[in-house]
Amino acid sequence: MATATAGAAQAAPAPKARGGQRLRFFLAVLRARPAFAVGYAIVSMTVLIGIIAPWIVPYGPLVADPNVYLLPPYAAHILGTDGTGMDIFSRVLFAPRVDLTIAVLGTLLSACIGSSIGAIVGYYEGQRTWRTAIATFVMRSTDVLQAFPVFVFAIALVAVFGQSVRSIILAIAFVNAPIYLRLMRSQVLSIRRMRYVEAAYVAGASDISILVRHIVPNAMAPVLSQLSVNIGWSVLLTAGLSFVGAGVVAPTPEWGSMIAMGFQNVVTGQWWPSVFPGIALGLTVFGFALVGASIEVLADPGRRRILSGSLS
Amino acid sequence: MTDNPIQGLPVRRRDVLKAGSALAAGAVVPAALRATEASAATVSTLVIAAPATPQSLDSNFDVSLGTFEAVAALYDNLLEFAPMPDPKVGGAFREDIADHPDKQAGLNVRGKLCESFELDPAGKFIRFQLRQGVKSNWGNELTADDVKWTWDRKFGLQAIGAFYLSTLGLEKPEGVKVEGKYTVSINLDNPNPLLAKLQPNLYAPIYDSKKCKEVSNADDPWARKFIENNSAGFGPYRLDSLTRGQQAIFKARPDYYRGKPAIDTVIFKEVPTSATRASLLQGGAVDIAQYLQPLEVMKLRGAPGVTIDSVASSFMIWLELNANIEPFNNVKVRQAMNFAFPQEQVLKTVFQGLGEPLTGCMPNIYAGFTEKFWKYKYDPMMAKAMLKDAGFPNGFKTSLAYNAGDPVQEPIAILYQTALREIGVELELKKIPAATFYNAVSERKQPMIFYVDSPWCPDIGYSMTLYFNSGSFVNYSNYKNDEVDRLLKDTARTADQAARVEMMTKAQEIVMSEAPWVFIAFPGYHFAHRSNLKGFTYYTSNNIRFQDFSRDA
Repeated sequence: MATATAGAAQAAPAPKARGGQRLRFFLAVLRARPAFAVGYAIVSMTVLIGIIAPWIVPYGPLVADPNVYLLPPYAAHILGTDGTGMDIFSRVLFAPRVDLTIAVLGTLLSACIGSSIGAIVGYYEGQRTWRTAIATFVMRSTDVLQAFPVFVFAIALVAVFGQSVRSIILAIAFVNAPIYLRLMRSQVLSIRRMRYVEAAYVAGASDISILVRHIVPNAMAPVLSQLSVNIGWSVLLTAGLSFVGAGVVAPTPEWGSMIAMGFQNVVTGQWWPSVFPGIALGLTVFGFALVGASIEVLADPGRRRILSGSLS
Repeated sequence: MTDNPIQGLPVRRRDVLKAGSALAAGAVVPAALRATEASAATVSTLVIAAPATPQSLDSNFDVSLGTFEAVAALYDNLLEFAPMPDPKVGGAFREDIADHPDKQAGLNVRGKLCESFELDPAGKFIRFQLRQGVKSNWGNELTADDVKWTWDRKFGLQAIGAFYLSTLGLEKPEGVKVEGKYTVSINLDNPNPLLAKLQPNLYAPIYDSKKCKEVSNADDPWARKFIENNSAGFGPYRLDSLTRGQQAIFKARPDYYRGKPAIDTVIFKEVPTSATRASLLQGGAVDIAQYLQPLEVMKLRGAPGVTIDSVASSFMIWLELNANIEPFNNVKVRQAMNFAFPQEQVLKTVFQGLGEPLTGCMPNIYAGFTEKFWKYKYDPMMAKAMLKDAGFPNGFKTSLAYNAGDPVQEPIAILYQTALREIGVELELKKIPAATFYNAVSERKQPMIFYVDSPWCPDIGYSMTLYFNSGSFVNYSNYKNDEVDRLLKDTARTADQAARVEMMTKAQEIVMSEAPWVFIAFPGYHFAHRSNLKGFTYYTSNNIRFQDFSRDA
């Protein structure tokens, strides 16, 4: 393994040159696939807005002013106000702080837990030891977990843990973990038979050392590409939980909760309390889906080669 | 009248358009509704969009939405309050629940299943002379045995019936005496002023004991299973079918002793979303849309073919301040919480001006209500000063639980949260699913929780006892005041109405001063219906009686 790595290092260009080369390639990809650029722009904007929201919003996101309730968009409230007189624009801009925090933390937690268990299960599977029995048990348990409808399962988990941001993060981590577990397991199953892994084993490296130093770093690419798609999906799940009343506590500025608070008004003609958070939610999920699609392409050597060919 | 509401109707362009709009609405309502979309156009069929179908037809156990509409159609009581024109809404009626010292029992009540009654002036017994020849939907004649069996059933099953027994002070089944085939009396050990007043209540319907005994057995001696799903009563309708979650169908009885009701068939449809109910009414697919939100009511007010009858009601909405949980065990804190409540703004925004401020601790339509002890006009400075006096100069942190199934509660909670921030009180909002909300209320473990209710017996003593007697099950704020308890006890033991009102005025003064609630609103009763439907009558039980309605052809 050490030899193989050293050989690769000798053949590769200097790190700075390599970084510049990658950036040029990335920009060329974005030019060739503008949809990816749109995705990165949406995600960057959403993150940026979430960060600077306190300095750019005209009103407090939790301040209800009954003197201006249910007003349609106009100069003072450019996206209108909701049934309690809260400014929808301010709340829409504040919402990424909650939605993205929950989605990113939940997804990272699930990736860490799922990938770790998946790596161990994949490494020990098929070795005819007691560890194999445990690995099989873990995989069958995962089957059971994945048999539940994800949304219903998430509602049940929030009901068990209690309604809070922490509970939603845990629920997202729990329902997503099996995805990473399977992904990592399948990667480890193929990588563990590589000759450099066998070489490390023959050299006397421990199981933990082989897993951590030689297998997991080489199995991370699909996990990373899954992360972006999952963050978008988690934003949607968070909003869905809030919409049915199992998510964040009102009046926390959160897109799903805002849609739920305003959806009854749509029938009576006040569409703005629901529609604007809905648009923001849709755009964000769309952005993360495009970023996920780009990572999928960029992380796959075969598709990257094809793309390189078409760019040159 | 034909059972098929569509058969025989000429097809006109308007009908086609109506059916079209009904079909569009049908896309968002349960499939079962589509089969009857056009039925609202017929004279003899009434289609009602309700939030839920009855879960049970037994009022001794079930208080779910729809149960009492069904009970009022299937059963009759011994007495009823005489109707009178509603003073606010032309063409609408309401029960005459005022005190009438010149009339028998001091009330404007009249016999329903009884022809006449005799009330002991001291309030220790009431004797009913039943109508003769009244038949149940099973063809059995009403006799005194039916009345006796009905009260025995309350003793046998307890449950909600036990509450009524204790309210009346009826301690043993022998208190109800059959004195002849058509004569029956209720006899108490102590005088009770509610002896006549409680008889019109929907918890006191008379059962056909002969049918009930036929279907009962050793495991079920009081015909629970049968009454849950069927009817055995002397009311104007019989149950045709009940599919829970979809619809209940009621058919008028041609042999009803007061004559067959004008509406032949009533289809009681479950349409859970209020916005959908409003759309169906507007499109003409239903005749009545129940329990609409204030914004929907306001929108429908201008809709062609739709009429909203807004009448004063016994409904009240308030926040329970749990006197067993700090800091609400402190009277000054409770008063401060009232001064900090933006009542006027809530009425304007959330209730769209459809309600009235709750300025007392009982329905303002009941005799004896007074608002002279109301002092909690929104005043954050006063609230802050009172909190300081109470030892909370920097405020405190607490929580407010609200019902996810009631769309007005969340905006009220948010407005209150904003208002409380001004006086340093940090309010955490807890959304509780509708299915478990009542459990949360009755557990009495929340510092603050919403409650919407109405005392169904239009009596000052009954209303005050319900919410402020320290031993009452419905006293969800854990309020306890020895003087109030004494006044309530004395009020329950005298038939002298003037003395009762005097005692209850004193009790209202104490309660309003000690503020066990945050007083929100009298939301009113807003009956949304097609304009050609006549006969709406408001009852203090806040539900409709199908037999009241008729329709212009």
